[in-house]
Amino acid sequence: MENAIELKEVSKEYPDFKLDKISFNIPKGSIVGLIGENGAGKTTTMKSILNIVNIKGTIQVLGKDHQQYEKEIKQELGVVLDDSFLSEYLTAKGINSIMKDFYSNWDEKLYFDYLKEFKLPSNKLIKEFSRGMKMKLKIITAISHNPKILLLDEPTSGLDPIVRNEILDIFRKYILDDEERSILISSHITSDLEHIADYIVFIHNGKIIFNLPTSDLLENYGIIKCDKKDFEQLKEKDYISYKKGKYQYEVLVNNKVEIKKKYKFEVIDKPSIDEIMLFYVKGEK
Amino acid sequence: MKGLIKKDLLNLASYKTSLFIVIIFCSIAIAWTTSVTFAPIVISTIIGMIVLSTFNYDEISKSDKYILSLPVTRKDVVLSKYILAVVSTVIGAVLGVILTIIIVQIMNMVRSSELINLNYESLLSTAFGGMFGIALIQSIQIPSIYKWGAEKGRIQMFVLIFLLILLILGASFLFTKIGFNIDMSSIESFLNKFGILLFVGLIIIMYSISYKISYKIFSHKDY
Repeated sequence: MENAIELKEVSKEYPDFKLDKISFNIPKGSIVGLIGENGAGKTTTMKSILNIVNIKGTIQVLGKDHQQYEKEIKQELGVVLDDSFLSEYLTAKGINSIMKDFYSNWDEKLYFDYLKEFKLPSNKLIKEFSRGMKMKLKIITAISHNPKILLLDEPTSGLDPIVRNEILDIFRKYILDDEERSILISSHITSDLEHIADYIVFIHNGKIIFNLPTSDLLENYGIIKCDKKDFEQLKEKDYISYKKGKYQYEVLVNNKVEIKKKYKFEVIDKPSIDEIMLFYVKGEK
Repeated sequence: MKGLIKKDLLNLASYKTSLFIVIIFCSIAIAWTTSVTFAPIVISTIIGMIVLSTFNYDEISKSDKYILSLPVTRKDVVLSKYILAVVSTVIGAVLGVILTIIIVQIMNMVRSSELINLNYESLLSTAFGGMFGIALIQSIQIPSIYKWGAEKGRIQMFVLIFLLILLILGASFLFTKIGFNIDMSSIESFLNKFGILLFVGLIIIMYSISYKISYKIFSHKDY
């Protein structure tokens, strides 16, 4: 499968944080969710791809070096950043007039159709928009030049469930319109990603902990709740980590069907991505 | 590049009224004082300073990161700021000169008893002098904004103007104290002959050095 983005051993060092040789791909036509707690390295990863920070390692976007072909590549990228956009003293109409000078394939009609669809006023200053309206405007601005790749940094953070769902629908529609399109979306609201991402990349303390298909995480992973005696029967290679409670052990496994057969556990619960994350970070082995 | 300049101009649209008030104020001041050296300096200074506030708009909205995610290079970003700075300074001076000529013509028409003598040469020298002043401030101000941010940069601007005034006052005080007699007429005749050329040369040198420093700072900046 061809990749839209390839990161190889990307490192970035700050005084108090290090992105440590991370490598992963975003296959063409897929949605990759980047998860991790605040400060784990999600935004630094996004900024590295955008060449906003100087890094070590290589990044290829649509088969081209991200620094050498920066301008060309960015014509094909749509970007939503959580904490940065154009000035709030502009209007949506003003943004159209600016963006058409940046993107050679800016689709003015599409932009205004989206504004109408999401009931965003075109002549009102952005600073008067609600948080949800601002995010919708950022997303509309990111997709109105029909980019091949969308890079979305925390696009649903701080929004109510209804707006979040509306926003996820925009992404679903965007990817369905063209099977070559790809999305990298970072979020600490993992439930959002469970519904739309094809792959989940979990980043913790600047390192990638896992990079797996979402279906694998949701179908093959399981949590066994058992007592000490049953836990001691489990071989170490058969589980990922465990948490010891007052009365029971909780054990995360990544092949629940086999484990069920091998150890005769009656119930193995289906974990959420949040729970899997917690086991990887807080669990013992 | 065009998009970057348009972004700044749209941000500055709210200054339309302030600029209109400045023009009215200058018109009254020219008519009142019959000074023909006033408007080019004031208008180019005010427009030149207004342009620097585009950095504030970028800083308040944390736009820098987003702008760098658009199809532009860091060179484009810095260059667009300098194009805006230079063009606005020139427009300010031209506006000042035109305004002075218009007001003086009107005044001479309605008040033929006290004709104002409009010396075009000194009007031009003043305009270039004004441009030089604002170019000096911008040339120091823009790299310091790239280095320390717009908020801190603004404080430095006032410190800078204060230091400049102090320097001029100090120098003149020193000259009087040591009894050094400045031959004003020879300076004036030199400036009248080569002033414009000197100012233009210095303005170009200042902006070029300043641009190079700004680009160097900005190209190494991480967000």
